[in-house]
Amino acid sequence: MAEIRPDEISAILRKQLSGFENEVDVYEVGTVLQVGDGIARVYGLSKVMASELVEFPNGVIGMVLNLDEDSVGCVLFGESALIKEGDQVKRTNRVASFPVGEKLLGRVVNPLGEPLDGKGTVQFEKYSPIERKALGVVQRQGVKEPLQTGIVSVDSMIPIGRGQRELIIGDRQTGKTAIAIDTIINQKYTHSEEAKKYGVKPVYCVYVAVGQKNSTVAQVVAKLEESGAMEYTTVVSAPASSPAPLQYIAPYAGAAVGEYFRDSGRHSLVVYDDLSKQAVAYRELSLLLRRPPGREAYPGDVFYLHSRLLERASKLSEDLGGGSLTALPIIETQQGDVSAYIPTNVISITDGQIYLEPNLFNAGVRPAINVGISVSRVGGNAQIKAMKKVSGSLKLDLAQYRELEAFAKFGSDLDKSTLRTLSKGARLVELLKQGQYVPVAVEKEIVSVYLGTNNFLETIEVKDVKRFEKEFHEFAELKYPEIYENILSTKELKDDTVALIKKAAQEFIEKFKKS
Amino acid sequence: MSVYRVSYRYANSLMQLAEEKKIYSKIVQDAELIYSSLDSSKELRSVLKSPIIKSGEKKKILTAVFESKVSNEAESFLLFVVEKGREDILTDIFKEFINLRNKKEGILRAKIVSALELDDSIMKRITSKLEKETEKIVQSTFFVDQKIIGGFVAELDDKVYDASVRHQLNLLRKKFAEEISI
Repeated sequence: MAEIRPDEISAILRKQLSGFENEVDVYEVGTVLQVGDGIARVYGLSKVMASELVEFPNGVIGMVLNLDEDSVGCVLFGESALIKEGDQVKRTNRVASFPVGEKLLGRVVNPLGEPLDGKGTVQFEKYSPIERKALGVVQRQGVKEPLQTGIVSVDSMIPIGRGQRELIIGDRQTGKTAIAIDTIINQKYTHSEEAKKYGVKPVYCVYVAVGQKNSTVAQVVAKLEESGAMEYTTVVSAPASSPAPLQYIAPYAGAAVGEYFRDSGRHSLVVYDDLSKQAVAYRELSLLLRRPPGREAYPGDVFYLHSRLLERASKLSEDLGGGSLTALPIIETQQGDVSAYIPTNVISITDGQIYLEPNLFNAGVRPAINVGISVSRVGGNAQIKAMKKVSGSLKLDLAQYRELEAFAKFGSDLDKSTLRTLSKGARLVELLKQGQYVPVAVEKEIVSVYLGTNNFLETIEVKDVKRFEKEFHEFAELKYPEIYENILSTKELKDDTVALIKKAAQEFIEKFKKS
Repeated sequence: MSVYRVSYRYANSLMQLAEEKKIYSKIVQDAELIYSSLDSSKELRSVLKSPIIKSGEKKKILTAVFESKVSNEAESFLLFVVEKGREDILTDIFKEFINLRNKKEGILRAKIVSALELDDSIMKRITSKLEKETEKIVQSTFFVDQKIIGGFVAELDDKVYDASVRHQLNLLRKKFAEEISI
């Protein structure tokens, strides 16, 4: 065991004390008039700013939300039981802000920047205000680089670009979080040397958990750690047990971290899981602050709550470094009701949505994405050319299949072309199925989709499709590695590459053993 | 309407009346007397707040208490407030009046806490120092509280000048908790 000598300790203490100033401290105070339900009304604090942090006794922090004539309304980020009438409240002169910096990667913190992972205090570069005005038109440019999710159906048909806001919406237990986590895991590739070679810039991730169970958050963190994704990820967690004000500010805190990376010319991805719980927390807070309720008892500014958050997603112009902040908000619907207040709001704000359905999930189609009503409004520009080329007919084929599928259930005699469409559709659906935590690299996605849409799977049994795909990639990687290399380096699907894929496929189909 | 707004309006009218009739200093004296008696007597406050006691009774009580001690104008103001049914915020009205007076004359009330009984010269020095700092007339009241261990704490409205040993120790505790990096 290492020994520590007493004089060493005194030396350290002396060093710590050397920066300590013994002067009169001037601060501004107020007095608690009323406290309860996580809200405190404070008399005094006459110069306090809106959304400034204030300090209550027992280390409880509060945020000023209402500035009235004779008092100030604060929300508490701690227990209201620790505060009593007449307590002194101190100003901090700091508008609610969040520590940002390189060292936040790999950490799990609460929305105030306090560590939750037991790895000691958070080292940070600076405090960044959690509420920041979104950028204007001049500072932005169109979305042009792809953000690969590693999920074949998303990358091919509902492509997401860097700087986009894509909503993930669906009932409970349909795999919404899974899509977001897979996307984070898939960004590991962007941090590799290989990605650098092909000009793919790294994406830093932020996962914001609002109103989730602590066990779920722990599971997610464990999964990210296991797949080595924590190295470039920050988790901001305001679990269900935390006070409503913390849940309310959590997404803004996450956005502040994302903006730090964006503003330094890098790329970031922020997942808000989920915004319906944040809206509920904000409703609680607003009602306690006696703001008038509106539809579904949400306050009048619940639209602004989400629009100002999601508007912060952006792709910066080249003059400002060309960084980006991609937002993946998640909304949970009740019994598939997308016409409820919060879902319609967020659908109208975002640049498209990925719609997940319990029926598909239960039928074994996982990820349970309903490609018919899922859209991406700007991602198409960002798709790499090769993917654009192969995915064009995929959406059409699937739409035809779905139309005929219902029809075919009547069991009437079907003509040859209908049967063909049906069998192709069934194989495509099978091809798009994918396990959790196994994101696929973009070049493999392209080859798979090519095989599916160009009828190479016709002779393969539906149940063998996944095995065929896997074994084909293994085969091609060994014998024709140039297929993947060509796609990655040119980002296009040139004729010679297509010829190679065809050759490889024909060769492999002959060898492929049916089970 | 909020209590603050109502009491401000009443206090402001009283102030204007006093200036108009040129009895400002007398009214200020009366207001201080009324405020301190209201502040010190809980019974009087609860009588005024009680909805059971009729306003006639309240008027009689107020006249009996203040009749010979305050000017006629102040007394009729009291009765006017009762008539308007605002007697429950009488304390707030006079508090607001005193605030208005302080603002007008540039008076700042200071609460100074020290660990030991201070002698007059130190008290004067602290007060004059505060006057210099704030550029206002400071009226200090001194208290002794041994919990602050040493030094003094001066509270002026919202601002606190904290030179106590307790505060220094708290700061030190915080500093050690925050950045022990070996």
